[in-house]
Amino acid sequence: MYELNFTPVLAGFDQLLIGAWLTIQLSCAAMILGLIVSVLCAWGKTSGIVPLRWMIDAYIEIIRNTPFLVQIFFIFFGLPSLGLRLTPNSAALFALVVNFGAYGTEIIRAGIESIHKGQVEAGTALGLSKLQIFRYVIMKPALRTVYPSLTSQFIYLMLTSSVVSAISADDLAAAGNDLQSATFASFEVYIVVTLIYLCMSVGFSAIFAAIDKAAFKYPLSR
Amino acid sequence: MAAIGAGFVVGAMASTAVAQTVESIKSAGTVKIGMLVDFPPFGIMNTSNEPDGYDADVAKLLGKEWGVTVQIVPVTGPNRIPYLQSNQVDLLVASLGITEERAKSVDFSEPYAGISIGVFGSTDAKVSKPEDLSGKTIGVARASTQDTAVTKIAPEDATIQRFDDDASAVQALLSGQVELIGVSNVVAAQIESAAPGRFDQKLQLSQQVQGIAVRKGSDELLDAVNAFIEKAKADGELNKIHEKWLGAPLPDFVAATK
Repeated sequence: MYELNFTPVLAGFDQLLIGAWLTIQLSCAAMILGLIVSVLCAWGKTSGIVPLRWMIDAYIEIIRNTPFLVQIFFIFFGLPSLGLRLTPNSAALFALVVNFGAYGTEIIRAGIESIHKGQVEAGTALGLSKLQIFRYVIMKPALRTVYPSLTSQFIYLMLTSSVVSAISADDLAAAGNDLQSATFASFEVYIVVTLIYLCMSVGFSAIFAAIDKAAFKYPLSR
Repeated sequence: MAAIGAGFVVGAMASTAVAQTVESIKSAGTVKIGMLVDFPPFGIMNTSNEPDGYDADVAKLLGKEWGVTVQIVPVTGPNRIPYLQSNQVDLLVASLGITEERAKSVDFSEPYAGISIGVFGSTDAKVSKPEDLSGKTIGVARASTQDTAVTKIAPEDATIQRFDDDASAVQALLSGQVELIGVSNVVAAQIESAAPGRFDQKLQLSQQVQGIAVRKGSDELLDAVNAFIEKAKADGELNKIHEKWLGAPLPDFVAATK
């Protein structure tokens, strides 16, 4: 029977925490930037401008039909030949934003399409500007509708970020790999890394639930 | 379990080792040579499931030189010396690095191959000592020998980027994501063939030469092996094998030693 020995893991625990902190920073930045990309693309897709819609469709199809690892290799190893050189951490952020943007766009588009045309007409009748209609009449109820799928995509983004260790970004997975290779206590290290990821997922879920309560509460009743 | 058992058996028989002569090999018409088959490109199993690689070619060349049939016996890292000591093989052409410790159990020929680890970078990068790595980014394969070696010598403000394997580290060098990488001469030879003339070795981190091993006290056999290696080095045959498997000429530190 294999005997677990956590001493080497505890000795390198600060390393893991530094990695976890980078994972949190990367994920939060990618969630915010990715959401912005998603909203803009969803708006573009529903705007009725045909060439714009084609471009966004192409972007979504390419990203959703290729593996994330390939995308991140392309950004880190491929873009330098086109003159764009990113550090491992910024390449990781860029890849996460681009990847999330494609999935987020489709989620938000679904939300937008759930808004009845009559609502927009009502907004126009009330004399709201185009931007006001998009913000209050379309976006807010749309986001409320798709919020659960959006947050699970956010959690998925955080977990996917473990792949960025492949381009030597210093996230939690990379810290775990380093510690594992230095101590050879791979089972123990991955148990601890798994628990840290689990804690982060649960933590993010709690934050999302709080945001849901604060931002998307119906004024009347729910 | 069987492998461990076999290890014990051959280990126990080690004391019965007897010196070997070229005459007895030639009269038997066969030379039994132990080699690794899990150490590419030195020892591999080829597509027809036969031992192949640098070591196999050296073994075959030796057989041709002596006019005997070569019987290759696959051995593993831990059991190769016991195989030799227990007379199961006549020679080891098994990428056995020449160390003082091993020289107590076997006699080594002069080097026939070598592996070195070094820091490689663009030909115009000015790095000639470890301090020059200051402020540079160096790619390595995580947890590899070169990772340990580079980490040991790199100054505080050098950035070491750890990739999952040598291939990613090389890719990072080729795409300019890192300025330098730590790799073995085997990988460096592959870089040279992918991007000729762009990169060269900046620092040597460690080097190890490999020798053909014979049983202790087989002086006459050892002389014959050394004569073979000297001839193979002089007539370019060894160089040819090195070119074939490692894509580069025999390194100077192997060709020159002794």
